[in-house]
Amino acid sequence: MSRGGGSPTYKVSALPRGSVLDHLRAGTALRALRVLRIPADATVTVGVNLASPRMGKKDIVKIEGYELSHDEAARVALVSPDATLSIIREFKVVSKSKLSLPPSFRGLLRCPNPACIVHQERVPGAFAVESRDPVTVRCEYCERSIAEEQFEFP
Amino acid sequence: MVSPKDFVGRDVITVGDFRREELLFLLDAAARFEDLVGPLLAGRVVATLFYEPSTRTRLSFESAVGRLGGRAIGFADAGVSSQAKGETLADTVRVVEGYSDLILLRHSAEGAARLAAEFARVPVVNCGDGAHQHPTQTLVDLYTVRRELGRLDGLHFVFVGDLRYGRTVHSLVTTLAHFQARVTLVSPPFLRLPAEQRAALETLKVPVRETHELAEAVRDADVLYVTRIQRERFADPVEFERVKDSYRVDNELLSRARPEVAILHPLPRVNEIAPEVDAHPHAAYFRQAHYGVAVRKALLALLLDRATEVLR
Repeated sequence: MSRGGGSPTYKVSALPRGSVLDHLRAGTALRALRVLRIPADATVTVGVNLASPRMGKKDIVKIEGYELSHDEAARVALVSPDATLSIIREFKVVSKSKLSLPPSFRGLLRCPNPACIVHQERVPGAFAVESRDPVTVRCEYCERSIAEEQFEFP
Repeated sequence: MVSPKDFVGRDVITVGDFRREELLFLLDAAARFEDLVGPLLAGRVVATLFYEPSTRTRLSFESAVGRLGGRAIGFADAGVSSQAKGETLADTVRVVEGYSDLILLRHSAEGAARLAAEFARVPVVNCGDGAHQHPTQTLVDLYTVRRELGRLDGLHFVFVGDLRYGRTVHSLVTTLAHFQARVTLVSPPFLRLPAEQRAALETLKVPVRETHELAEAVRDADVLYVTRIQRERFADPVEFERVKDSYRVDNELLSRARPEVAILHPLPRVNEIAPEVDAHPHAAYFRQAHYGVAVRKALLALLLDRATEVLR
């Protein structure tokens, strides 16, 4: 994302190849990184509490040389539902999409309740979104509410 | 308008699966089934998969099946099931659905009945899944209250004991939102009602008060719902010893309550209700256990599409 006219310039287009997570909720960049499985040697640039006309403040994460998968983007949506993901190839934005947090989903998370049946069976977790800000989901099996700080990723 | 057909083939996983009108319909149906004995379920087979110990729920279901002329098959101990050989619950229900018309499941894991229902093509009835839910007990509890007090609306329920692990409480307490109830919760701090249920009660706008003082709470109670502090839910025996005798209902306590207060307990009891209370005219817990058969007869007949004639 670049802007002219004296506004901050993040020089995203300068990436030869990689992924940019923009419009992350302020303060969520490091949590977003934690839910990703990016290569240990990837170059990552993190911007925290940057000025944003639309959001007031926002975070941004640039990952060089690595394209986030659909699953990884879905995991970021659990941390910051309204973020955007740009995929860069040869210095050009080849796709830009708004992350989406569906009302219910399977997989992605593991229910943190040790008494939940999913830990004994070979089934993916099933969850319904209870709240989007902050993100809270409910396990469809044991019906426990799970706050974002309790999220466990399989 | 609720009809018997609305229940045919349904799973019963949580009591939240039922609307108020459906709950009332089930209670009315149970009244019609109270004295009914007959071959309504002739030729039908009900599977009881009980991975955890149970006396009342299993026996009352088996009694209900037997009194309606059906047959119950199954196990009452996970040690004799294929689980002991490593079979998953999902596989067990896919096998058992071929042997039966309906599956009754008790399991120690929360959400087990929901999972079983996803895999089974026959109806699954949750007979208790860990500390989560016990919907048919809630139907029995509501039936008992209405039978004892003649009404369900606008009552003051006092819950005492283990509100944290007590699944019968978890099932019943949020259901009371349908009946404009007022709720008082009495427990040791360690055994408070879980945050999920407290939040649900707030969302449902059920007036709730929490206290440690049972003597004060019983003064204007319509229903005193007593639960056992369950040794088997405690990882730490020291913690159990510390709280096990926190509350005891006896005649001295009941002298402070309204004479018509209905005393319920899902049973088994240990020390939380003194034997002297059994003679109290509104000590309803043994009747409550007996009403389980009527409620379960009605539920089975409805789920298996055999209730229309009786309820006509």
